[in-house]
Amino acid sequence: MSLGAAELLERIRALDLPEKVRIMNVCGGHERSITQAGLRNALPPAIELIPGPGCPVCVCPEEDVYQAIQLAMNEDLTLATFGDMLRVPVNVRKTEVRSLEQAKAAGADVVPVASPQEVVALARANPDRRVVFFAAGFETTTAPVAAMMAQGVPDNLLLLLSGRLTWPAVSMLLNSGEVGFDALIAPGHVGTVMGPEEWEFVVEEHNVPAAIAGFDSDSLLAAIYSVLRQLQSGKPALDNCYTRVVQPGGNPTARRFLSQVMEVTDATWRGIGTIPASGFSLRDVYAAHDARKLLPDYGDAARRRVGEMPAGCDCAQVVLGRIYPDQCRIFGAACTPRTPVGPCMVSDEGACRIWWSSGKRTRVEQAAE
Amino acid sequence: MTLQDSHISLAHGNGGRFMRELIDEVFARHLASDTLDTTADAVRLSLPGEEILFTTDGFTVQPLEFPGGSIGSLAVHGTTNDLAVAGADPLYLSLNAFIEEGFDVAQLERIVADLGRAASEIGVSVAAGDTKVLPRGQGGGIYLATTGIGVLRHPTPLGMKQIRDGDAILVSGPIGDHGISVMLAREQFGLRGDIISDAASVLDITRAMREVPGIRFMRDPTRGGLVSVAHEIARATGLTVALDEPTIPVRPAVRTVCDMLGYDPYYLACEGRVVAVVDPGSAQDALSAMRRQSGGELAEVIGCVRQQSGEACVSLKTEVGGLRFLQELEDDPLPRIC
Repeated sequence: MSLGAAELLERIRALDLPEKVRIMNVCGGHERSITQAGLRNALPPAIELIPGPGCPVCVCPEEDVYQAIQLAMNEDLTLATFGDMLRVPVNVRKTEVRSLEQAKAAGADVVPVASPQEVVALARANPDRRVVFFAAGFETTTAPVAAMMAQGVPDNLLLLLSGRLTWPAVSMLLNSGEVGFDALIAPGHVGTVMGPEEWEFVVEEHNVPAAIAGFDSDSLLAAIYSVLRQLQSGKPALDNCYTRVVQPGGNPTARRFLSQVMEVTDATWRGIGTIPASGFSLRDVYAAHDARKLLPDYGDAARRRVGEMPAGCDCAQVVLGRIYPDQCRIFGAACTPRTPVGPCMVSDEGACRIWWSSGKRTRVEQAAE
Repeated sequence: MTLQDSHISLAHGNGGRFMRELIDEVFARHLASDTLDTTADAVRLSLPGEEILFTTDGFTVQPLEFPGGSIGSLAVHGTTNDLAVAGADPLYLSLNAFIEEGFDVAQLERIVADLGRAASEIGVSVAAGDTKVLPRGQGGGIYLATTGIGVLRHPTPLGMKQIRDGDAILVSGPIGDHGISVMLAREQFGLRGDIISDAASVLDITRAMREVPGIRFMRDPTRGGLVSVAHEIARATGLTVALDEPTIPVRPAVRTVCDMLGYDPYYLACEGRVVAVVDPGSAQDALSAMRRQSGGELAEVIGCVRQQSGEACVSLKTEVGGLRFLQELEDDPLPRIC
């Protein structure tokens, strides 16, 4: 019998909490729900809810966005990508094309899409033209891309894949020596695809309480209540607070498509660096659709700040949950959704964008370390 | 008698016989009234009352027909609702139709018939009009523009200047139905649903509200939705608009689509709702007045206007008792990617 938000808040308020409890979420959807529901100021002040690496757009490698822009500008092709990717800036001089949106404005054939089916339809409708699908995303977005490939795509459809796995980033944080959180809210949609078991390492190897949550206040508060009780008892055990959707083993069809079409590789995360076994790449049997193999590589290691966040931007710290969005040096001043400097201000999944949109407008002085 | 041609051609805009047939057999046939004279260059109107209200609006909706309405009914409701919320009874409309070459005449008939029906339902005449035909590729099928004249019926001016600290805010029904209905009709995201647009005349509701002594201001929350109206109030008055989430009516189906696509219902367009600001002592009377009208049955008091330290803003007390600020709409929301 699940409890409602009001009852859960009562129970959380009745707990004997330590001075500070830091609970990290690793999903832009969670951060959005938390912020939009106003959970932070409904909860006791001791509870800190920290947005972590939950925005696929934010961690998409800078060099991949650069490559997509260069392909769109220099090659005779259509570049299709999820709408969120259009405004992500790369680190080039202001006189150069800095985003896919600017490339589109400059005449490149860039098409925002909302689903892999749209890309297939686009390629079918234009059989004589190469359509490159620049697909960035976590497991939830990458699984449908894998399904698309497995089910067969037109010859003229190429994939520039930037898929990432969520849990290796959390593993990296837990192994980093400066963990920065006391408990984890694990992502509900990723759990739906990959199964809850992926998150067992958090409690088993690191003794950190964890609970999988859905996206409404009831489910998020149930997960918060669960990790608080795990902390109190000193016996963490991964709790699934999204049982309606997250089943043991995840979605076997989605996982089969993923393993059939892609292999897991070491991958770079923007501003963070390489995380072992954290990315997807196309298997060799799909080489005929792999834009990385078939199209010119515009990568230039000598380019300024390649792979990094833009100068002055603290997105890397925000993504890792080391600072809150409004502690960034340029939050709300140089960096706003209208003039985004870093990717966290671009995407609807980005913590900076979510905070700014919900009314946090000015930066706060960072507390002395 | 109906038009012989099955599709519009450039000849229907050339000033000759084809154009005359189009006007007589499609427009005049559906929009006939005592005032409409397609042979006159200008029409004489006699207006009762002292003050007239005058407004204009253009219509480019895609798709042209959607569950609950069409660009035709929208062209009547959009303009007459602007008159209605300003305290007027709408009387006359002018109509401009920009039709793309190749447009299906059967669809044009449906749209103009819809327009005629919507106008006669609220006692408004189309008194003047013009048609133009655009070469293929230069229009979205059809664009309409209507200009409306109404007579002020409310004795004291309604407007944001009348709003006072402590006033109550009401909405006449569930928000976001139109925005989601049109979006689903585009089938852009492979979603289908049976959400019907709220597009309708709000005249009965505004007439009832005019009788409420404490009425200060009314507006129909179209593009930009409830939040945009709230921001206009905050900017004009310097007062904070404090909304109470649990009281704001949103249909579950609309909420579900919003959750799936990452939209916020408070920013979605309505085409048949009224947001009203009233004296707090009149809030219950105003609510009863709205609920007695067709289309106002699900009206609610959704918040208040109040003096608050700091910059005026739009705040939302959430379901769980948290606080959230609703920012002005910036760009069209993009679908989420995970």
